[in-house]
Amino acid sequence: MEYRSCLDDVAVPIIADASVVINLIASQFANTILRQLGGPLLVVREVQLELEEGRNTGRKDAQELSLLVNNGQVEIVELGERSAEHFLELVSGMAKDTLDDGEAATIAYALESNATVLIDDRKAIRLCLTRFPHLTICNTVDLLGHVDVWASLGASAPDAVFNALRIGRMRVPEQYLDWVVNEIGSDRAALCSSLPARYRGG
Amino acid sequence: MSVELSNVELGRRLRIARERAGITQAQAADAVAVARTTLIAIEGGKRRARLDEIRRLARNYGESVNGLLIGDSAHIDLLPRFRKVGLGGREKAEAAEMLMDLVKAEVDLERVLGVVRSFSYPTERPIMAGDVRAQAAADAAELRQRLGLGLLPVRDMVTLLEIDLGVRVYIRPVDSSVAGLFAYDDSVGACMLLNAIHSRERRAQTAAHELGHLVSCRQTPAITYDGMTQSREERYADAFGRAFLMPTRTVTHRFADFTKGTTVLTRRHVILMAHCFGVSREVLVRRLEELQLVRRGAWDWFKANGGITDKQARTVLEDLVSDDVDQLGTRGPGTLRLNLLAAEAHRQALMSEGQLARLLRLDRVALRDVLDIADVEGDADGIPKLSR
Repeated sequence: MEYRSCLDDVAVPIIADASVVINLIASQFANTILRQLGGPLLVVREVQLELEEGRNTGRKDAQELSLLVNNGQVEIVELGERSAEHFLELVSGMAKDTLDDGEAATIAYALESNATVLIDDRKAIRLCLTRFPHLTICNTVDLLGHVDVWASLGASAPDAVFNALRIGRMRVPEQYLDWVVNEIGSDRAALCSSLPARYRGG
Repeated sequence: MSVELSNVELGRRLRIARERAGITQAQAADAVAVARTTLIAIEGGKRRARLDEIRRLARNYGESVNGLLIGDSAHIDLLPRFRKVGLGGREKAEAAEMLMDLVKAEVDLERVLGVVRSFSYPTERPIMAGDVRAQAAADAAELRQRLGLGLLPVRDMVTLLEIDLGVRVYIRPVDSSVAGLFAYDDSVGACMLLNAIHSRERRAQTAAHELGHLVSCRQTPAITYDGMTQSREERYADAFGRAFLMPTRTVTHRFADFTKGTTVLTRRHVILMAHCFGVSREVLVRRLEELQLVRRGAWDWFKANGGITDKQARTVLEDLVSDDVDQLGTRGPGTLRLNLLAAEAHRQALMSEGQLARLLRLDRVALRDVLDIADVEGDADGIPKLSR
């Protein structure tokens, strides 16, 4: 089954939204994965704060993110003046035309710094394609399936995908479903509630 | 499409968010390094907050900038009204916050999905001078007539409230001392929170009691809890609830039927009649006492002599003990209806994951669970379409 990550030809900077950070941490191989990116993964302050709120419900994502920041694999960035304008544009308006703070700040920062955006949310991707067609948008599957990441994970690569699905309830874009299920195997796919029923034998 | 909020509306929303967070104006002003007078001017709509100020205030209030700036979002000001009627005790404040969050989430999702909710509230009947119980009984009879119930028992109080009257009803677990809450706001209508950890019968009684508030004084929110003071409004609501669920004539007739040929009230009579009216055994016996069909102290006698147990009820009712379908979806977050609306908004890519997590006050993984459960079919090809 042919698969090629859209991140294969992308140079840093790369910036990730909360949807991707959660999956990355859930994969249990965040260190190995991030070592292959050629620079720190950028995360906006708004995403960090959103993950911090999860501490109240016992989520460990904020704690794990702090470790990645401390070892230099993730850099927390703040919006500048221009990106703040894009941010405002993305958070104000009718509900269907706007995004939450973390998603909006991630896209706004990418626009100002010409970064590649890692985001899984379908609405965020739809808005980006309409409003910012020049923006390069990839997702968690692209990150896990990046040619260097996949090679460095070796035999553990399907485990990383399975963990992201099972622990992080990772959303998989339609076009990658066959590849993902093929890699993790149908028995493990059956355990992943975030996969469509037809891939879970349901 | 960008919709610029007016200064007044933005200020109002910031004030509601601050009050929801339980932060004073002085604390908020300190936290974002502005003078208190500036914050007052912002909240009063006299000065427009700058983006950096909105961002700092939002962080401080645990809200998102997006949540504050969405043009078609509901920002309902219920908490101060609940505080006016008394929110002493953390458990009551938490229940009031829960109701406010559920209403806001549901209204926002309805708006984004274009769902129009219809309602048909009863005519308001302010409490008059004189016997409050007699007025409540008359008003309950009038409403039963309007709803076409005649003298029949109400089998499903929640469905009646939701479908026949258009009241927003949420069944969620809250502290056991709180039975229910009622609130009304012109922009969202009437809403009730019923405690999921109480029995279906007790919830029906609470719902009928809250309906009494909707009839008599809907502009004043109400909390029903253990040990509350019996104001005139509460006495009206109590009497209304009893008369609505157990009309005098129906109770009298049923009582005569069930007790034909006997001179004593047995546990079996109580179990059958309570089941027939969908109320608790205690409430049924107290109603019989009130209508002087049995002597005062009947319930106390049962209580002193081992009570009337669920096991005895199961023996009498056998298969008639019904499943509590209203409990569906109450163990997880949100409500069944809310989760379905959220899943649909997500499926149509009208709300992002971040927006839904914020609206339902869930972390992302908990939200993903909710979406997965609500969307069991996934995006199956050829799934039947509704004919509309």
